[in-house]
Amino acid sequence: MNKFFIFIFVLFFVPFVMGIGLTPARTTINFEPNLEKSVDFSVINSEAKNINLVVSVQGELAQYVTLPETSFSMSSTQNSKKIAYNFKLPNELLPGLHTAEIMVLQLPESKNADETYIEATLAVITQLYIYVPYPGKYAEADLSVFNLDDGNIQFVIPVISRGEFDLVSVKANIDIFTSLNEKVATVYTNEIEILSKERKEVTALWDTSEIYAGPYRAVATLIYDEQTLKLERNFNVGQKRLSIESIEVNDFTLGDIAKFEVLVENEWGENVNDAYVQMLVRNDNGELMVDFKSPTYDIKSLDKTLMVAFWDTKGVRVGTYDSSLLLHYDLLIDEQDLQLEINENSINIIGLGYVISERGSGLDENRLLTFLVIGVILLIIINIGWFLFLRKRLKK
Amino acid sequence: MNNMTPPLAYPEKSLKKIFAKGKNKHIKIIDFVLIVGTVLFFASFVNYARPLVIAPINNLATTNSSVLFEFERGNIILIDDNLEFSSPQKIQAEDNLVINLKTGKYYWKIEGVLESEVREFTILSEVNLKLKRVEDKYLIVNAGNLELDVGIYENKSFVENIILDIDESKEVSGTKFMGEQR
Repeated sequence: MNKFFIFIFVLFFVPFVMGIGLTPARTTINFEPNLEKSVDFSVINSEAKNINLVVSVQGELAQYVTLPETSFSMSSTQNSKKIAYNFKLPNELLPGLHTAEIMVLQLPESKNADETYIEATLAVITQLYIYVPYPGKYAEADLSVFNLDDGNIQFVIPVISRGEFDLVSVKANIDIFTSLNEKVATVYTNEIEILSKERKEVTALWDTSEIYAGPYRAVATLIYDEQTLKLERNFNVGQKRLSIESIEVNDFTLGDIAKFEVLVENEWGENVNDAYVQMLVRNDNGELMVDFKSPTYDIKSLDKTLMVAFWDTKGVRVGTYDSSLLLHYDLLIDEQDLQLEINENSINIIGLGYVISERGSGLDENRLLTFLVIGVILLIIINIGWFLFLRKRLKK
Repeated sequence: MNNMTPPLAYPEKSLKKIFAKGKNKHIKIIDFVLIVGTVLFFASFVNYARPLVIAPINNLATTNSSVLFEFERGNIILIDDNLEFSSPQKIQAEDNLVINLKTGKYYWKIEGVLESEVREFTILSEVNLKLKRVEDKYLIVNAGNLELDVGIYENKSFVENIILDIDESKEVSGTKFMGEQR
């Protein structure tokens, strides 16, 4: 009876899933003539099922790879199984990358009584990458751009020396262009030496304190000995941001239409289109009393625009109301909580401005460290005093 | 009266010598106390001020891309793929922190008043595919930690290649699905 219920449960609630994994996904080796090696990898039974697997080799280097095991099974309790492949490289290969793929194929599941099964085959591959050095000097490089916490930009160029000979001098000049293709800066990396088959990085820092936020393009010229390599990358400085400079309601009379004038600045280096402000006003119980919006505006790069929104204050009483001002642009919404102090002839807006919270100081730990540092300084003074002056005087 | 000084039990030079010997002994004691005290103080200062790194353990190899960094007495985690820390990722953290990283070998240390020891760990690449039956089609899921290039075949004939990001899934039809690192 129990078996019957388990069968019913499996039939209705267990999804029909196949799953298989391999680690590592790639093994990279530098070419050596006649190199012989065994490479271990693990097969992962990710769905914890009884599975049948077949191993095979394909790709350019397949003829140099042998498999000690070409088929095996894994039980549902076996999470992973370590297997290996062996390779023996020839005496010579052309310069560049050569690959082989070791494929592990999970055979289709056997049919269940209800014909619900997966009849497809699933295969995963672990790659063997063999790099043969290029004659002479050869560099492979990439350009990465990092936005640092202080707002500056760090350029990192990892360089792999793929040639037979060492690279004596590796450095780069990086030209930076705006989205309008105007060159705004050139930065220079450090200069390093890279041995053959070695990977190292050259880096440069760009001070963006006087640069507008926006999209930029970096074009790096990597100079290694007498050769050059061009690298490009698009990146942003800062964030796409509109900021609210001020809100004013002029010539207001309670019961009439209030005209909210919101001055918005585009701090981004490109135009921002279809931006608008939305204002939510709540009553004393926190219930939404009114929701009104401005029309949409296109704001030019690094420019300011006055957005206007109207609120019909008919039936509104004198008092202070909680309110939220939402600035919509692209897919972003900047929200700011405000209070509207409504009088017969004026609306005062309270709370425009951002609160920057202060971080905790970790005072106790700092105090102890200060004590320790003072201790070190005192000890240095005592030691100098004793060994250079007092000791000599006493000895006389 | 002849003012003669009484003969000394020890000559003056000997007394000076004895006094000097005692003084030298005291000087040597002070030397010893100062040197040992200074060394001990510096040792305890370095021991206290040097950040304590707890996790990940040295030479950890895992396929999990989320790595828990556990440490004490420091507030900046520096992670890089080279021992020179030429372009480190600097992460401000007052407490333990889980960081998602790509596959590869990493070196890390903690900065505080002093720098901690340097440890290394490896996030092993894992290609992992899952296939779910969805009516007359399949849902193929990238369950590994790399972007995958998946070849789709229908009765031994190649149909198309699709790219699956980490944790991404796509509805597909075919009879054979083959995934490898892109």
